[in-house]
Amino acid sequence: MVVLPPKKKRAHWGIYVALLPLALVLGAFQYYPALSGIWYSFWDWKPGFTSTFTGLDNYVRMFGDEIWWKSFGNLGIIFAFSVLTWVVPLVSAELLVSLKSERAQFIYRTLLIVPMAFPGVVTALVWSFLYQPNNGVVNQILRVFGLGDFAQNWLGNPELALIALLFIGFPFVAGLPFLIFYSTLKNIPNEIFEACALDGVGRVRRFFAIDMPLMGRQVQLLLILVIINTLQYGFVAYILTHGGPDNATMVPVLRMLNQAYDGQAWGYAAALSTTLFVFTIVLSAIVALFRRRDTTTNVKGI
Amino acid sequence: MTSLTVKPPVRRRRAGRKQIGVYVALTVIAVVGLLPYLFALSTSVKTNQQFASEYWLPSFPFHFENYVVAWVQIQPYMVTSLLVAAASIVGIVALSLLAGFVLARFDFPGRNFFFIMVITLMMVPGIASLIPLFVMMKDLGLLNTIWVLIIPHIAAGAVLGTILMKTFIEGIPQEIFDAARVDGANPARLFWSIMMPLSLPVIGTVSLITVIGVWNDFFWPLLTISQNELKTVSVGLIFFQGQSGTDFGPMFAGYLLASLPLLLLFTFLSKYFLAGVQGGLPGSH
Repeated sequence: MVVLPPKKKRAHWGIYVALLPLALVLGAFQYYPALSGIWYSFWDWKPGFTSTFTGLDNYVRMFGDEIWWKSFGNLGIIFAFSVLTWVVPLVSAELLVSLKSERAQFIYRTLLIVPMAFPGVVTALVWSFLYQPNNGVVNQILRVFGLGDFAQNWLGNPELALIALLFIGFPFVAGLPFLIFYSTLKNIPNEIFEACALDGVGRVRRFFAIDMPLMGRQVQLLLILVIINTLQYGFVAYILTHGGPDNATMVPVLRMLNQAYDGQAWGYAAALSTTLFVFTIVLSAIVALFRRRDTTTNVKGI
Repeated sequence: MTSLTVKPPVRRRRAGRKQIGVYVALTVIAVVGLLPYLFALSTSVKTNQQFASEYWLPSFPFHFENYVVAWVQIQPYMVTSLLVAAASIVGIVALSLLAGFVLARFDFPGRNFFFIMVITLMMVPGIASLIPLFVMMKDLGLLNTIWVLIIPHIAAGAVLGTILMKTFIEGIPQEIFDAARVDGANPARLFWSIMMPLSLPVIGTVSLITVIGVWNDFFWPLLTISQNELKTVSVGLIFFQGQSGTDFGPMFAGYLLASLPLLLLFTFLSKYFLAGVQGGLPGSH
């Protein structure tokens, strides 16, 4: 860190004036709302009217809210499924780095990640069409293969709706896991592979003996990022199912919004949002710790 | 960091024949991933009759007028989103470039405290403060104005922006600043004549992150805007679906038109785009 001007210890007032705009914006539109959310989670919050202090009532109510806890159960399924789906990006990344032509690698990498360039809402809407009961692609495919009996209203069936949501983005390659796996594998020094080849280590053995251990730290990081992303899961479920049918695809974010906007229970929604916030901040803190300690890897950033 | 440049151009493996299998597998994965979008593309130039008779394959003649129909519908949403993105970029760059410059190049009491206060906000998830922020905007009477869309993007973007700018500016050689100071430049002059031009790459990264953020933002514009002309693309498309639910051609054309800005950025600025997707860490792939 270079100091300028070097000698002067007492700071010029201009410095504080220059920082003032940022301080005001962050104070007013980041710190204030976050703190007022925590504050009002202890109130029967009636925006525009008189709110009454209710202590822990909102949190007591939360503990008895079956839909809220069910929505966390759904998050568990969403999380487990996302981790399972890493198999595809992992295999794709392994396949991609084994391509000998750099040019082919670039072309395939681009093709594999193009879906990332589509806005999330568009992907959700296209998939909602794929799942349509009558004209939907999924049912049409089944009919083509003579499996028309299996054709059904995928998003309307409580037993299938969540899994249908999870399959959005199949085959799950276009995403952060793939980019991380690929960049990790790309950056493993070639000498290691040459040494392997000399020792007669095969491709599969190499994967388990070298690639996986070298990716360990990245996978840890990815796990925590996925937990955080999962906690914020919501807009896809909103667009395709609104949390239904029969709360089968309910997630905490949607429950929170329902309570605020449909139920007008602002204080309760603030308590739910504070709970989500606490979960997330604990996990983010863990991520930050990982980042700081992350000196062993040969991969830059994530 | 340097591992990419160090890497020698040695062939990874000696096996020759098996590459065909690798190509086939990769092609299958890529095609399956792209299929929904290709389906959308081929359907976007069909009439409903063509769609009924030729479900899978492209069908001639192509009806490009679907795009005109779609454009008329989504044009106001596109304009709003572009406006929001542009205004947010201006705000974010102005705030964070100045703060980044001061934090990187000056020492003063409270400097670390200030920076920690900024970094802490990285951990605050947008969704968690959505409800109190909504109430705040309601109290300020800003619902259904363009400001309710712009301000949160500026406030959120300035956090990451300041961190990126500070890191970047710390990397600019001190000699350049010293030389300018010897020539009699004051801090304001240093900022305008040296900092701004040198910081263009990081300004670009921040802008790209902002555009991606605006285009993907969903719940906030959904909840704060009810006036049709002020809807952003992400929200407008939902209602677009409702309006012309049976006219598949224009519907898909609309989806693709709405994706076009991000697709173009992805095509021409792929490296920065991926950095943006990964939380603004350049060199991350």
